[in-house]
Amino acid sequence: MSDTAQSGSIMKSPSDERISHRGPIQRLLVSPEIGALVGALLIWAFFWGIGATFGTAGTTLNVLDSAAPLGIMAVAISLLMIGGEFDLSSGVLTGSIGVLVGLMATHFMNTGAPIWFAILVAFVTAGLIGWFNGTMVNRTGLPSFIVTLSTFFALQGLNLVLAKRLSGKVLVDGAEKAKGFKFFRAIFVHEFKLPDFHGRDGIYVGLVLTGVALLTFGLLEQAFVRREKAEKKSVVTALGGVIVAVASFAALLNNDGVANNIAFGILLAAGGIVALYGFGRMRFEPKAWPTAQTDKKAIRVAAFGAASIVLACIAPLIFDRNQRKPFLTWLPSSGRVVLTVIVVLVCVAWLAIRQKRDKEIGHTTRISKRLFTLVIAATMVPTAVLSVAQLTTVQAVRAFLMMAAGSVGLVLLLRARSLASKASRSLHLIIGASASVAIAILAIVVRADSGATRFRSGLFTVMMIVASLIAANTLLESSLVKRRAADPRRDKLGRRLVASGAILAAGGVVVRIIFTNFVAGSGEQKGGVSLVRMSVVWWLIFTIAGAFVLSKTKWGSWIFAVGGNKEAARAIGVPAAVVKLNLFITTSLMGCFVGVMTLMRYKTVVASQGVGLEFEYIIAAVVGGNLLTGGYGSVIGATIGAFMMAMSGIGIPTAGWNSNGRLSFIGLVLLIAVLVNNFIRRKAREAQ
Amino acid sequence: MASLLELRDIGKHFGNVTALSGVSTHVEAGKVTCVLGDNGAGKSTFIKILSGVHRPDDGEYIIDGSPVRFDSPRDAREAGIATVFQDLAMIPLMSVWRNFWLGSEPTKSFGPISWIDVAHAKSTAQSEMRKMGIDVRDVNQEVGTLSGGERQSVAIARAVYFGARVLILDEPTSALGVRQSGVVLKYIRAAADRGLGVIFITHNPRHAYPVGDRFLLLNRGKSMGDFAKDEITVDEMTRLMAGGAEMEALEHELGTR
Repeated sequence: MSDTAQSGSIMKSPSDERISHRGPIQRLLVSPEIGALVGALLIWAFFWGIGATFGTAGTTLNVLDSAAPLGIMAVAISLLMIGGEFDLSSGVLTGSIGVLVGLMATHFMNTGAPIWFAILVAFVTAGLIGWFNGTMVNRTGLPSFIVTLSTFFALQGLNLVLAKRLSGKVLVDGAEKAKGFKFFRAIFVHEFKLPDFHGRDGIYVGLVLTGVALLTFGLLEQAFVRREKAEKKSVVTALGGVIVAVASFAALLNNDGVANNIAFGILLAAGGIVALYGFGRMRFEPKAWPTAQTDKKAIRVAAFGAASIVLACIAPLIFDRNQRKPFLTWLPSSGRVVLTVIVVLVCVAWLAIRQKRDKEIGHTTRISKRLFTLVIAATMVPTAVLSVAQLTTVQAVRAFLMMAAGSVGLVLLLRARSLASKASRSLHLIIGASASVAIAILAIVVRADSGATRFRSGLFTVMMIVASLIAANTLLESSLVKRRAADPRRDKLGRRLVASGAILAAGGVVVRIIFTNFVAGSGEQKGGVSLVRMSVVWWLIFTIAGAFVLSKTKWGSWIFAVGGNKEAARAIGVPAAVVKLNLFITTSLMGCFVGVMTLMRYKTVVASQGVGLEFEYIIAAVVGGNLLTGGYGSVIGATIGAFMMAMSGIGIPTAGWNSNGRLSFIGLVLLIAVLVNNFIRRKAREAQ
Repeated sequence: MASLLELRDIGKHFGNVTALSGVSTHVEAGKVTCVLGDNGAGKSTFIKILSGVHRPDDGEYIIDGSPVRFDSPRDAREAGIATVFQDLAMIPLMSVWRNFWLGSEPTKSFGPISWIDVAHAKSTAQSEMRKMGIDVRDVNQEVGTLSGGERQSVAIARAVYFGARVLILDEPTSALGVRQSGVVLKYIRAAADRGLGVIFITHNPRHAYPVGDRFLLLNRGKSMGDFAKDEITVDEMTRLMAGGAEMEALEHELGTR
């Protein structure tokens, strides 16, 4: 009913055929945060998989704890960067403030000042430093890079001089004895004790299941064209599926036997698929297939995909799981040279074959483009192989091979399926089914093989769910008419279902994370309480405030405008200088906040503290999708970026790696996140 | 009918260089005055005087019959004179509606916190542009995704909405193709039909002639005349702009005639 009313109004205002609707997913894909979001999920999954304790409440809270100062600064820096400026002095400023407050509290007038006074002086000082940076940039027109770099060095020198002269060492301590320290410590870094909440599992399961159900229905509504009238016959199928699914789920909950678990799991999946299919047939328009054709390309791609999956399945047989020795150590250096030469030769051969074939079909690609790829491959592949060979263990190579071959295989199979969707129904179904079966087999291999229990069962479940989703999706897509890109504009129902489903599911996960105290893998009850620090709450507050300012207030618009094109913004009437000055002052004040917070947390401060952190703030902001050139970005993205960096900081030692590798890891993450960001955004824009 | 804006014998020197001298014209409400001139004719000095960036050294700048002195572009804007600069009209990475409202965002507030009334801002931007006959498909889309003509049009609609009485357009069609230029010319006419006085600066007589009511021709900082539409033809304008005889000599040389 509402559909007809809305389509009426659309007819009145003729919409442009060149622009199609952006659904919530499309909008997410073009948003700046997407790279950080995807990256954060991947990194989480990565460390969760390899680290025994990662993902438990304890480590999660550790991650949050170390992310908080970084996150607060990333919010400030992202605003500044969107406004088109940098602040390299922001890292060292946090140290300066720590030194200042610490020294004031211990040495002011020989007896030490009360903490409130020291903090007040710190904020005023920080404000002045921000004002200095901003005014210099505005007045002189020098790049902020230069101005804040000089502030950076000035402050760093000052820190050392002051700390050495007044306290005689490079470490300032004793602040906790000052008057009012406890009070301010509570404000900045109070520890909240979270009780172990026993209702959490029920709430978690309930919320997540409801959320997933809503999400599924919403996605269906958005994906397919609705029938005029529901088809009654399919109701029976749908209900039958639901009954089987619910019954097997109930059985699953009340059963501990492993064999029975698998049986009921399969029943649950089958019931779910049948229910979805029935529901789809009932509510959406059936698809009429054109005359059947065979698509050779689809078959070829599918064959490659299947081969890749087979490789992933064989990998565990070739390599020894318990071999922790470096891989290929037996290979002498001459052997490595030979390996490199072989890789280069293979690349050249591949290039020649491609070039020849392209010529045969009259399709010419510029050789320079190919050469570029070739050079990259010829340098990168041996380097990668050799470094993997030198540094990692047989075990790691094996895991990597399984993961990579498995995912490549899945991607190829899905690609083949989408090619087949234009050819014939049977081909589409066959390829879809083989994708689903391939994942299931891989899941079983992983389960039978992996040493880590938690990783094993978790990954197995996830892969099985993915397999059933692919099966259900194939079945639905081969029998129902898909909506065209322009149509979902009218579909408020689907949009709301998706949004509320996602919120419910996320809420469930949050409940579980907050109220979980035990180490899930060992099933051992740690007892005691979880700790959330006030700093995390401050981080949340600053993020929300920053996001609000940026997206909802006129200052936000002005920040974007000033960063996007300062002269144009000024010509239109935006007070560009004021905006920039405010941004610098805000950054410094937030640096002061973080400086005080860090001092309160650790009670001592080293004179060199904060040096180098400015780059971490910038990295967090860039990973979060902020453009280095200004005018584009997001506060939420920067916060996710900070979370990601903290995750690598905690995750690497948890995984048993050398914790110094963190920096290299972050460098890699930065590069990948930015590339992913650009790639996804470009694809999403092209798809519009 | 009294002129909205009038210039009498305007002159401007930079050191010993005379950028403009003895230039006069006027614009009435609902009319389009075109300022034509080749490169170096003094068009940019002229527009900077109009928009308050420079103060004229000689002559009078008259609005509603009384002389004014602008110290900054802001003064000019407050007097209802809106300038749309060619390159500085829009911020490409921002959405259409944010660009439309930039600098004058409609806000709601609760206590000390104020925020943009987004729903109102979007719907007003859309409807205001539609009133001008501009159909931006989606006000959420980034301005960078619009065509050059559409960007100029949004800037024109914005100036009209924010109560401009005189609209100064700096070469709005110079970077555009034939069709896009036509679109912008249509909006220039639409703005005049809504009662604004428009000053349209261009170097293309073929763009100026169809929309203009008055034509001020500049050459090397001097006025080559200020004509009403019935006093001049396109060919004559082209000839005067190019410096009259010089162009004829050139055409003779090239054998185009």
